[in-house]
Amino acid sequence: MGIKQLYQVISEAAPDAIKNGEIKNHFGRKVAIDASMSIYSFLIAVRSEGQVLTSETGETTSHLMGMFYRTLRMVDNGIKPLYVFDGKPPTLKSGELAKRTARKFEAQEAHEEAKEVGTAEEIEKFSRRTVRATREHNEECKRLLKLMGIPYLDAPCEAEAQCAILAKSGKVYAAASEDMDTLCFETPILLRHLTFSEQRKQPIQEIHLDRVMAGLDMTREQFIDLCILLGCDYCDTIPKVGPTTALKLIRQYKSIEGVIENLDKDKYKVPDYFPYQDARELLMNPEVVPADECDFKWDAPDTEGLVDFLVGGKGFNEDRVRSGAARLSKNQTTAQQSRLEGFFKVIPKTEEELANLKRKNEEKVAEKKKRAKLDAKAKKDSKKAPRGAN
Amino acid sequence: MLGVLLEARLEQAQILKKVVEAIKDLVQDCNFDCNDAGIQLQAMDNSHVALVSMKLGSEGFSPYRCDRNIALGINLNSLMKVLRAAANEDLLTLKAEDQPDSLNLLFESSSQDRLSEYDIKLMDIDQEHLGIPDTEYAATITLPSAEFQRICRDLSALSESVSIEANKDGVKFACSGDIGNGSVTLRPHTNVEDEDKSTKIELTEPVNLTFSLKYLVNFCKASSLSATVRLCLSNEVPLLVEYQMGAGYLRFYLAPKIGDEE
Repeated sequence: MGIKQLYQVISEAAPDAIKNGEIKNHFGRKVAIDASMSIYSFLIAVRSEGQVLTSETGETTSHLMGMFYRTLRMVDNGIKPLYVFDGKPPTLKSGELAKRTARKFEAQEAHEEAKEVGTAEEIEKFSRRTVRATREHNEECKRLLKLMGIPYLDAPCEAEAQCAILAKSGKVYAAASEDMDTLCFETPILLRHLTFSEQRKQPIQEIHLDRVMAGLDMTREQFIDLCILLGCDYCDTIPKVGPTTALKLIRQYKSIEGVIENLDKDKYKVPDYFPYQDARELLMNPEVVPADECDFKWDAPDTEGLVDFLVGGKGFNEDRVRSGAARLSKNQTTAQQSRLEGFFKVIPKTEEELANLKRKNEEKVAEKKKRAKLDAKAKKDSKKAPRGAN
Repeated sequence: MLGVLLEARLEQAQILKKVVEAIKDLVQDCNFDCNDAGIQLQAMDNSHVALVSMKLGSEGFSPYRCDRNIALGINLNSLMKVLRAAANEDLLTLKAEDQPDSLNLLFESSSQDRLSEYDIKLMDIDQEHLGIPDTEYAATITLPSAEFQRICRDLSALSESVSIEANKDGVKFACSGDIGNGSVTLRPHTNVEDEDKSTKIELTEPVNLTFSLKYLVNFCKASSLSATVRLCLSNEVPLLVEYQMGAGYLRFYLAPKIGDEE
């Protein structure tokens, strides 16, 4: 999923690109959310005693529970969510998808076995691994969103790419996904952890693309090549090339072509099938609907419809559904607090300030490295010292 | 002290005390930008609804010197802790060296028999600055700051937001909440004995805007800085609440609440 270790690379090379804040700091903002990823995470996380939530008739309701309450949380905090669903997967992803299916299958078998002989913990572990978001899950979530008055879109292909294009065009403030590859699709701002539950007390993470680029000192082409080397969904990686090496190689040779040309053939082996050009094309020019053709608006909720669907059909608690609907319509009708950025523009930083910022960042990175080195050394020394020798 | 870059002495410590007291709940960390014109500060609250802009002009200090532009990043809660150690009437001197890692504060009691000295650590704050356009406001209302504070406090008991409606007859602050509604209307009048107790309304066109009372109540903490407060409004732009100080000002901007735009 996403780009392996990209977060780690960014947090080291461009620490100022990442900000953590409270959910309420984002009030008044429209956010495009990768729905497919969210539904999957609800199926995994919204559980009781390790089992998915079900209605009396045994239908899964975890996804609806998650969708309803976590969307309410956003709306309560003044955020206007727009959900984007995955379309067909790109063909290049078939390799990755086949792998995932195989893994699911294995997990399924392991799950069956665990049920026979395993402990409760094992059963739970494997049951989580067998989770798949089905078409029915998606359709039910769409129906729920419609009743809630929350807009959604169907992406032609990858949802995160569509989210990114909406954010890039300014139709929404940011794209929200856990997937780091949303950054490859040029969302100016990526929000993470937005659909997490309140109880997890996870701050909302905000990643700013311009600062990532400034920190890495790369063009978009180089950044995408870096992501491919780190490992994306579309293409295998070169074995033994981890984050540190990938960053070093791209910095040195500027592109995957350059990297392959100069690669130490004895040490690293480029896989036989390495369609990095296609992967690059997919990341550079994903299949999306142009932002100005996307229309969406937030409506008043259909309270009776919600009660029918959730209480009648899915066994939700009626009082809680009604109070949720009341909160939705309150936020729909009352005047919204606006943000100052809508009126006053941020003064761009001067060259001098930018240079200063860069220097400080580099200092911070150097400092961190130094400390890590010292720590490692201290650890080594303490290991060397014979036990109990003081 | 060698290599002193900034040295600024305030006749009364209470000015800075009051400023910091008034803004510390809105802003946690901010840069004090010092240059030869004086000390300025601009910061937004976390949720980017309100903005504080403060200026203490160099003429408000004696002496004042600042050899190079410098931003002093300070945690306001820490600064308040130190400032609480100063009596209102103390002389207060701010000092910073070139490339400082701390700000030095010196309090001298007016009778000169006590000298307190504190150093406060500076921090690196990466702050965004907003460009505030010069606006011709449609309505400018000047009223006693205590009056404004009272209105905000009273109405905040009923509701989260207040609508401010100004026309040629007067200005009406109105709110409605779960328990009921309320309003306060002020008509322009002149107090001949005490100019500061007058209410003045200058108007080019009627305005009606809605604002969060929580923020307004917060702004009113600055009431002790000045006997009067100036409210500047235009439809669909942030409200400006201004308190004048001897050689400068403390301004608050607040983004309005807006009905759904779709």
